[in-house]
Amino acid sequence: MSEAPPLTGEELRQLCEFLYRRTGMAFDEAKRYYVQRRVTERMGATGEGAFPAYFARLRADAGGEVEQLINAFTVNETYFYREDHQLRCLSRDILPERARAKAPGEAIRIWSVPCATGEEPYSIALWLLENWPEVDAYDVEIVGSDIDTRALEAAQAGLFGRRALMRLSPDLVERYFTPAGPERWRILDDLRESVRFTSVNLVEPASTGAHGRFDVVFCRNVLIYFDDASRRLAAENLYDALVPGGYICLGHTESMSRISPLFAVRRHADAIVYQRPREGSRD
Amino acid sequence: MPLIRKPSPAAPDAVPARDPLAALRDGSPDERFAAARAAGGLPGGVPALAGALSREADPRVREAILTSLSRAGTPEAVAAILPHVHADDANLRAGTLDALRVVPGGLGPHLPGLLADPDPDVRLLACDLARGLPAGEAVALLVPILDADAEANVCAAAVEVLAEIAGPDALPALEACARRFPGDPFLPFAVRIAAGRIGARTPAPDE
Repeated sequence: MSEAPPLTGEELRQLCEFLYRRTGMAFDEAKRYYVQRRVTERMGATGEGAFPAYFARLRADAGGEVEQLINAFTVNETYFYREDHQLRCLSRDILPERARAKAPGEAIRIWSVPCATGEEPYSIALWLLENWPEVDAYDVEIVGSDIDTRALEAAQAGLFGRRALMRLSPDLVERYFTPAGPERWRILDDLRESVRFTSVNLVEPASTGAHGRFDVVFCRNVLIYFDDASRRLAAENLYDALVPGGYICLGHTESMSRISPLFAVRRHADAIVYQRPREGSRD
Repeated sequence: MPLIRKPSPAAPDAVPARDPLAALRDGSPDERFAAARAAGGLPGGVPALAGALSREADPRVREAILTSLSRAGTPEAVAAILPHVHADDANLRAGTLDALRVVPGGLGPHLPGLLADPDPDVRLLACDLARGLPAGEAVALLVPILDADAEANVCAAAVEVLAEIAGPDALPALEACARRFPGDPFLPFAVRIAAGRIGARTPAPDE
């Protein structure tokens, strides 16, 4: 790959403005090295030797370049206990509140969407068993959904490599996983069977609607990939997938306030999350 | 283990049981929200949504109505959205423009009308909508604003977009625009910044 020339100050600003408007990710001159490296990589991959031509390609989204560039700017790999501050928020603040709203015997429903290869929904299950003292007092149903059926098959198999487990203590790995070959571990059947996996299309109301309503939805690092129209529809589908008073957790670079006015912002000690207001509430 | 795998029998259904067109008229806010999402695909749905948009007070339901109309994307649906760009309620006005922004096939045919609207607030927001067009089309729509719009704020909105997408061809119009408002300190400043940005970059190839 030939090295692209350094971005001028104006080019850097132009790109950062585009990225901010499109995704909410904020970069500036202080992150020049980080930005330059990724743009150089994408210019090389697209065969564009000059920034103006590359930027024109980006604005036109030729060849899905917006998604490619976002991929270059985000951490695509997933692993257990990723963004665990939201899991702390779940056990400390969200679930106690949701549990108070439940009728006796009514399950608390949690949705991980998209769940990719299962790290997130299994993390939720594992976290609750370890960190939510009330876990024995309620039925908790965890559903993991994705549009990618190959990812769902991998999630159901419950096999993970070392990188996926890097945030878990050796004690947790020993208690919840069994060795399954060189550098591979399988999650315990009890835990594997505690998560139900389904396929879903987030921009298809019938597809999301078929899952019923949830108390908490984890929908991290996917809406930034959608165009404005799809993002708006997905936000409404997610709103509809929540019980009144239910919560949605987004990725740390995402803000629902930039996407849809439907949700109320809730600032908890560990995380900012979004809530479907209760009926009649002006929250 | 307290975690359960089977679907909960108590899992509530997100789909409304009532006829959406009836629920759109007299349902609870949650029923109207669900009805608004369902109505777009039903016979008679677009006129029902158009009527509902005119009387709906709940911002969440309005949002769902606007999404359904913008998804429908028919001339009838767009015609139902357009009058609300003049709403007194600023949230509805902004929501209307957001909905127009995502109409399938783009806003292109409607943008000249919005940019010529008698209401300067509408023209100002329309300048931002032009940002979504291919650069050449947007420049062609916005340069005449610099030449003729009577409101400095509208021109400033056009300048902001042009700063990002225009080439050196737009510089004379930008400079002339600054001269049209000698009493306005902001516009010459904005034009100077825009001219600097345009001059600092190599022209992009035609999109």
